This record gives sequence, C-alpha cells and structure tokens, in this order.
Amino acid sequence: MRLRLIIQQMEFIGVQSLPIIMLSSAFTGAVFTLQSYQAFHMFSAESLVGGTVAVALTRELGPTLTGLLVAGRAGSAMAAEIGAMRVSEQIDALDAMGVDPINYLVKPRLIASIVMTPVLTAVFDLVGVLGSYTVAMGPLGMSYPAFMTNLKDWVDPYDINSGLFKALIFGVIIGAVSCYKGFYTKGGAVGVGKATTSSVVVSSVAILVSNFFIAYFLPAEA
Amino acid sequence: MSGADEVIDPVTGAPAAIRYVNVVKTFGKQTVLDGLNLIIPRGKITVIIGRSGTGKSVTIKHVMGLLRPDKGQIWVGKDELTRMKDRDLRKVRTRFGIVFQDAALFDSMTVFENIAFPLVEHENLPYAKVKQKVEALIAQVGLHGANDKVPSQLSGGMRKRVGLARALVRDPEYILYDEPTTGLDPILTAAMDKLIRDTQDARPTLTSVIISHDMHAVLDIADKIAMMFEGKVAHEGSPEYFKKSMDPLVRQFLAGSLDGPMKV
Repeated sequence: MRLRLIIQQMEFIGVQSLPIIMLSSAFTGAVFTLQSYQAFHMFSAESLVGGTVAVALTRELGPTLTGLLVAGRAGSAMAAEIGAMRVSEQIDALDAMGVDPINYLVKPRLIASIVMTPVLTAVFDLVGVLGSYTVAMGPLGMSYPAFMTNLKDWVDPYDINSGLFKALIFGVIIGAVSCYKGFYTKGGAVGVGKATTSSVVVSSVAILVSNFFIAYFLPAEA
Repeated sequence: MSGADEVIDPVTGAPAAIRYVNVVKTFGKQTVLDGLNLIIPRGKITVIIGRSGTGKSVTIKHVMGLLRPDKGQIWVGKDELTRMKDRDLRKVRTRFGIVFQDAALFDSMTVFENIAFPLVEHENLPYAKVKQKVEALIAQVGLHGANDKVPSQLSGGMRKRVGLARALVRDPEYILYDEPTTGLDPILTAAMDKLIRDTQDARPTLTSVIISHDMHAVLDIADKIAMMFEGKVAHEGSPEYFKKSMDPLVRQFLAGSLDGPMKV
C-alpha cells in the first residue's frame, strides 16, 4: 500500500477542493432557501423551508453536486495528468523500471477519490445548511424556531448516510473513469484533451444516471 | 533451447547476453517482426539500425517484456521471457536500464528525485547512500547544480543525460538507448555519443543496445551493428564490415540515398 501517494491524492482531491465545495454549497443552500421560501410563503408554510432544504441537500443535492464538482476539478486533472504521462512515455518508464503503474498511479487516486468524495459531501451538506440558515435568518427574516423545528424533525441520520453512500459510489465512478481515460490515452496533446473532456462527460453522466438507480433501489426510510 | 549465455556471438566473439530466436510480432494485419534472429553480445555496444517502421523499437520493447511476441523465443541470460508471468517479468526488468527517446522523465519530480526513483522503489537504502549515489551520477553525466530543477527547466540534451543517469543508478546488467541523439545539435550529439562510450568503457560487464539513425556515431561507438529490414536482421557485423560492404541495402542506408532497394 502506497500510503504517501494516497495521502498526496487525498490532499489534492479533498483539501484542495474545499474552497469550491464550500462556495458552491453555501450558494446552493442560499438560493434553494430563497426559492422555496417564496413558494411556501404562498401557503403560509414558511416553517417548512429549513426541513425541505436540509433533506434535499443531504439526500440529493449534496452528493450529486459534490460528485459533479469533484469530477470537473479533480477527475479532469487526474485524467490529464495520467494521459500526459502516457503520451510522454512516463508510464512506459514506470513499467520499464519494474514499477507497476496501476499500483503507483491508479490505486492511490481511486482510493483517495472513494474516501474524499463522501467527506466533501459531508462538508457540502453542512455548509449548504449554513448558507440556507444565513439567508433564512437574514434577508428572509425567519425566526430560529421556525427554521429549525422541521429541520430537526425531518432530517434523520438515514438521510445523511444514504447521501454519503451515494457519494461513495460517485467516488468510485470518478476515480475509475478518470484513471481509465487517462491510462488509455492515445495520440499526443489532442489525445490528452479528448481523454480529459471524456472523463468529465462520462463521470458526470454516470453520476446522474447512477443517482437515479441508487435512489430507486435504496429504501426511502431506514 | 539453451540460455543466451551459452551461445557465442560470431561478430564480437563475446558470449550472448540476449538472444532473439525466430521472433514474430504482428499488429493487426501488419507483421512488424518476421522471424527475427539476433544475438546481443555481453559487455559490448550493439547498435540496431534501419529505416523508421522496421521494428527497431518493437525489438527492444520485447526484450523488456513490454510486448510479447506471437511466436519465437527471447532469452535474457538464462531466462526465457515469452512464457513468464507479469510478476516475474517485472523482476527481469529491474536488471535493465532504458533511456527513452524523449527521456520520459517524471514531470512532477526534480532531477535528483527522477534519478533516485529506481533506488527508492527497489532498494531499501539510507538517504545518505541514495544522495551519494545520485550525486556521483549527476557529476558523471555533467549536470552539476541541476539537482533541484524540474524537467521543464532542462534542455533536450540535459533531459537525455538525466535519463541516462536514471537508467544507470541501479547498476543494470543491460542498458537500452532508444534513439539517444535524436533532436540534439551536432555538438550535443557528439557529447552524448562520448558519454555512451565512456559509460560502456567504465562498466566492462554492461551490455548496451542502441537504436539509432545517426550513422557517424554508429560507426564510431558500436562494437556490433545489426541492420533491420522488413522485420528481420538483413545484415550484421562490425563497423568495419559496414564501412566496406558493397551490399546495395547497406550502401543506400549509409549514403542516405533515395535510390536503392529501400523504397520511400
């Protein structure tokens, strides 16, 4: 097990993705709160906003948007880096030196992707709810109890765990697709560009499609 | 079939280090190696020449097990590679050093880290020992002060010298050069050729195989030359043999002429 390489990749996929994850999640929570408040306001049911936003974030938006963001930021970089190594014979050099390129390049990235996508999803959920809370308390002028009552009642650990389980599957998809596309790159700089684009497109579509099937087959409640 | 080292190379009189026996390799419908028979003598420099697309790179990729032949046998010392498992092939590869055409240095590592990489991967040496060995090689290939540079800061000639230092760092039995002077100016080409000859002279047991188009260097530094044509060795001999040969194939290649048996 190449622990140093795994930690390096966890830092790249996880720590370096934190700013974009936090920024995106804060504004996702904020805009969702704004829109749902306007809808619920028509029925004088503003107190449903907190719970609705939190359930949507933990079950769907958190894992899905995190998966798409990680695929775009880290997955593309992984495919480009491995693809550039392929076309410049660096992978052949590893092989020629008796170093298994799958062990050296692919496994650490795959493991890091599987571990860090759920961690980033947890951050997305938390910051998203904070973004929602900020908008609800500030511009929308909701009271603390109105926001929190349904949130506490509606969100249970199963919602969070099912979201994290999805994120784990998305981590497998991002790591596997990006490394595969990079590893089998052909045709110089053009090939690296194609592999990078293809890794993001395939990962994103696979995340959205698999999201439906996971949601369909996972029980709605524990 | 016996191991490579029980056979004597008729050109140099040295025992064989590597033997290709009736090796056939096809890619789709294209036959690249068509019954290749070749002996690489131990402790000598063998240069493989031939037009682009005649299977020279494919030939050296087979000897490291990076490609497997469709037919035939490849002997490295007492080991026959064609039926070896991947894990055993990796062990054989650790006996080789290879200098790639574009050096194939790792972009994310410094010169020092690139050269130290095979030692770090395969030998459990203390850092002081690694540093001593790597710095000695950096000095040997004339790259003083380049330890902390990354490959993007190096010229083509410097990159190739780093590639050579990396290939030598574990004292390999065999070293393979894939067009080591392609893309270099005449002065750097001469410097690289001298470095290759000096490297060989300093290590009498080292077996060197070079793929090259640079005919001046070939005639100067080779102990044996093998000329490939249509997937086979068409001619093999000493540099003197090639200088004196009146064979139209040899004359055309040496002269770089468009007229002759090799068609463009």
